Amino acid sequence: MKFIVIGGDAAGMSAASRAKRQDASLEVIVLEQSQTVSYSA
Amino acid sequence: MVVRTAEAFRKKSGIDVRTGHRAESIDPGTATVSGRNEAGRPFTLPYDRLLIATGADPIMPRRPGFDLPGVAVVKTLDHARHIKTMLQERPIRKAVIMGMGYIAMEMAEALRMREVEVTMVKPRAQLLPWMAPELAETVGQELQAHQVQVRTGFDVARIEKSGQGLSVVAAGNETLAADLVIVAVGIQPNSQLAAAAGLELGPAKAIAVDRRLRTSNPAIYAAGDCADAYHVVTGQKVWIPLALRANRAGWAVADDLTGKPVSLQGVAGTAVFKVFDLQVARTGLSVAEAAQAGFQPATTVISASSRAHSHPGASPIQVQMVADKNSGRLLGAQMVGREGVAHRINAPAVALHAGLTVEQFSQTDLAYAPPFGPTWDPMLVAANQLLKLV
Ligand SMILES: Cc1cc2nc3c(=O)[nH]c(=O)nc-3n(C[C@H](O)[C@H](O)[C@H](O)COP(=O)(O)OP(=O)(O)OC[C@H]3O[C@@H](n4cnc5c(N)ncnc54)[C@H](O)[C@@H]3O)c2cc1C
Repeated sequence: MKFIVIGGDAAGMSAASRAKRQDASLEVIVLEQSQTVSYSA
Repeated sequence: MVVRTAEAFRKKSGIDVRTGHRAESIDPGTATVSGRNEAGRPFTLPYDRLLIATGADPIMPRRPGFDLPGVAVVKTLDHARHIKTMLQERPIRKAVIMGMGYIAMEMAEALRMREVEVTMVKPRAQLLPWMAPELAETVGQELQAHQVQVRTGFDVARIEKSGQGLSVVAAGNETLAADLVIVAVGIQPNSQLAAAAGLELGPAKAIAVDRRLRTSNPAIYAAGDCADAYHVVTGQKVWIPLALRANRAGWAVADDLTGKPVSLQGVAGTAVFKVFDLQVARTGLSVAEAAQAGFQPATTVISASSRAHSHPGASPIQVQMVADKNSGRLLGAQMVGREGVAHRINAPAVALHAGLTVEQFSQTDLAYAPPFGPTWDPMLVAANQLLKLV
């Protein structure tokens, strides 16, 4: 399954990381317009 | 905050992070998202599930002069770096801050620390309309004590160049000179992509989501500052953009996606911020919000001590508490003080999630020792007073 996330900050990275942790078979792509993704959890 | 490079993140987590990639449209019909990378190259990607987590951006008033150099918003690290560079490159003696929210307050403090003269302006007459005048007065005094000028009733009509600096002109033509103007008048959800894709919007044009973070299209989630949420007190949709609920919503999306049961309770609007040496906190509804939601608000304002009577170093904690006259239900609390405020707000916040009445809250067993508060916690003093009114 292909999971695409638009926006790589608090909400987007929380979802992407947890989804991938819980199901390693997921294909997760995060589209972030800026040059930084931040992950604070 | 931890900022990691996309490459490190990809290696470590197995997540394909594509920075410099801006999504420009979503086609729910073909289940694709399209956009452009930093080189201007277009891309189109198919999805099985999509999450919109585009956040919110500062509102820039569409009035003359807001595009002049020296006029800045504060949202990203890049904005902060930009302001820092301006402070280093040219003499900045005077700043005007538009807005009186927590970001405006934080900027006032940061600029005062660099000895910049600061004037805060807002169009409406009241300083912090969501709290009792007694509490707002304390905040006003704290700003004054740190030489921050506060100009209420100052509605900025335009900004003009004036010599080396800027002129901030109000509707009545009154003028403030500034080398730097910080625009912190509010933010709006980045929901344009969702709206263009035909997704339903909620309050403040945030993307409407259910308790599983699903939008009106079952293959598309939305989470964080771009999306709405349920309020635990009113049960109604609200838009209160804050970090915890953005992180939590992200987790909930992951859970729903991977087949775990999800149903988020919602938000109480619990928030805290610092104004120089003051802590300002709130949870739940203000009096005006309670009335608007159809409650019969009763309210009380008390001042208690941050430490036991005998303990040196005590300072006042002011509490406003709001309840519904008809049901006796606790609806909200606002608090101001020099210590013991930030985490004390969490007790009424939990009470709101549990739907406690003031009477039930007044019976809760809260901690006491002389360095941390009076025997009757300020929360309980307020609840006991409020109990007489419901
Ligand atoms: C100065 C400041 C101080 C704050 N302090 C606090 C605080 O003390 N407590 C608190 O609770 N909250 C605080 N907040 C709010 C908190 O930062 C937000 O609630 C939180 O960041 C929301 O996370 P988010 O992921 O929903 O959105 P955002 O953090 O806004 O992230 C959205 C991301 O999506 C990207 N994006 C947007 N559109 C596109 C597109 N079309 N294509 C690709 N990428 C896109 C953006 O570049 C961004 O990286 C503060 C905010 C600011 C600005």
